[in-house]
Amino acid sequence: MKVALKIWRSNAETGERALREYEVEAPEWVTLLDVLDVIKDRHDGTLAFRKSCRMMICGSCGMRMDGAAVLACKTRMYDMVQAGHVPVISAMGNLPILKDLVVDMDPFWAKFKAVNPYLKTGYEEPPPGREFRISQKRMNAIQKEALCINCGACVSECNAMESDPDFLGPQALAKAMRFVGDPRDAGRVDRLEDLNGKNGIWQCTRCYFCNERCPKGVDPRDAIAKLGAESVKEGIDRDMGAKHAKWFVTSAKTTGWLRETELVPHTQGIVETIKQTRFALALARRGKVPPPFPPHVAKDVKEARLLYDLVQEQGRAGYEGIVQGEAALAKLAHGYREGERDPYGEGSFPRPYIAGEEATAS
Amino acid sequence: MKKVAYYKGCLASLSAKELDTSTKALAPKIGLELIELESVTCCGAGDIHEAEPDFYLHLNARILSYASASGADTLLTVCNVCTLNLRQANWQLVGDAELRARVNENLVSVGVPAYERDIDVRHLLWELAEDEGFEQLKAVAHKGLKGLKIAPFYGCQILRPSRILGFEDPDRPSSLERIIEACGGEAVDYPAKLKCCGFPIIQAREETALGELVQPIEQAVDAGADAMVTPCPLCHLSLDAWQSKLKAVTGRDFKMPILHLSQLIGVAAGLPESELKFRRHVVSVKPVLEKLDA
Repeated sequence: MKVALKIWRSNAETGERALREYEVEAPEWVTLLDVLDVIKDRHDGTLAFRKSCRMMICGSCGMRMDGAAVLACKTRMYDMVQAGHVPVISAMGNLPILKDLVVDMDPFWAKFKAVNPYLKTGYEEPPPGREFRISQKRMNAIQKEALCINCGACVSECNAMESDPDFLGPQALAKAMRFVGDPRDAGRVDRLEDLNGKNGIWQCTRCYFCNERCPKGVDPRDAIAKLGAESVKEGIDRDMGAKHAKWFVTSAKTTGWLRETELVPHTQGIVETIKQTRFALALARRGKVPPPFPPHVAKDVKEARLLYDLVQEQGRAGYEGIVQGEAALAKLAHGYREGERDPYGEGSFPRPYIAGEEATAS
Repeated sequence: MKKVAYYKGCLASLSAKELDTSTKALAPKIGLELIELESVTCCGAGDIHEAEPDFYLHLNARILSYASASGADTLLTVCNVCTLNLRQANWQLVGDAELRARVNENLVSVGVPAYERDIDVRHLLWELAEDEGFEQLKAVAHKGLKGLKIAPFYGCQILRPSRILGFEDPDRPSSLERIIEACGGEAVDYPAKLKCCGFPIIQAREETALGELVQPIEQAVDAGADAMVTPCPLCHLSLDAWQSKLKAVTGRDFKMPILHLSQLIGVAAGLPESELKFRRHVVSVKPVLEKLDA
């Protein structure tokens, strides 16, 4: 089949940047990476891109297709070609472009190193002839985080990092959770302290691009929520983000609804709140600062309070309380109920070409 | 009339009352009968999920349970954050019998009915963008939005994570555009319509949040939009109220009016100011209304 691509060619040294179109002949089973190989081998040897394993393990071939980060080796071209779509390929975002599709990964690795991505020893040695065994349940809590292949797809799309390049970002934080949740690691609380800095956990803006883009199902945003919950459990709550989160808990168990007007002083403190007076007055004139009295109380809020007490007793505080819906996901992956919408189905583009569908597709 | 359990959430109850009044005024015109839920609380807005995750799950299970007990098949939301939090909890509970049994046992022990009959959590946008709702919308939007260029702003948590939200392609959504055009307006396209408005960290990391907020507003202005529309009251709050803070950062006074989805359709349907309550906005909507009447 004929495969057409548009590629953003660029050169950091000369500052040149141009969108070039290519059309090549390729077998129906090709991935985006295969097509790039064909272009480089037979049409234009100057095209630069990274690759290694060709099988979604090494994490080298992260790039953007139509503005969305993908692994080139995971992206099949068949459906797109059938639909007559000509995708635009470009380098990943949030990292400096060196040449064409190759980005400078140094800032990425600097953040990776900053979270000390290795097991901190210091745990007790097992008695001679014995071994420590860790339950499947304990390891399940970090099973997703352990899948990361450091490709940078999440970092490419991170909205908070786009605004502040110093944000540790989804990859480093997911990696940090992989060790915070490892029962063998001796540095859990120290790690949490470090991750509660200015560019840590609470700078995440919850845009969920990382979960959406990760080609390995790591769900970095969920990892960040786990780190937040674990910090709160350990009483590490000096950050405004932690205070903000805790005020929602207080609100839910006292009035049931968010006590909006008190949120600012409880997050930022009294001094900062006073500095914001002019801004607050402008909002108040428009009814955006509802008076805290009389409080807006939900009917039967006592039930919410009792539920709070109950879950405290049941001891699932911290990351253990985060359900990632793996049971639900298994159900999702293995069949839909009649009438249910399939997020990976028709219209979800790019969609992998599955062997055996050829007859119906053509 | 389709009966739906109506969950308005925190903002529409207080600081964004205009969202509640315009939704209630619009509902009967588009074939929705709203059953207002009384014994419900905040969904936790992602914050309780991040501080006390097990409490988050129970709080949302309680909301789902009361919604289900109302007899409706749909729990209607008007906020992206409520939509994600409730759908996420629902997805976890419906897909995991063991988890649901544990949560139900806890609910019953404090006097809440067990969450037995599944309910579907759907945002107002989804009700309006397809099938019966879309037909009704076209019929009701007789006053139209002729001559207006509207920039759709989706917000994050109605698109991503798509495996929990899943209404439309998260990278090529079209529901807002469809609605704008059905109302007779022109939908303006711009890259940041899918990005974050910064609201979740606007208090804890204001500078980072403003760096996000400026993108959609600046792009919508440069694309010639008369107004922006969003299905999320949190996006609305940052786009409308925090817009004034962008002046200090960028030197530009954008004056971009921001409409709730229900208000945009409300304008097209000729709802009165008493229901739309534009006087509650920080950035004046007047220029838009004047352009429409001209």
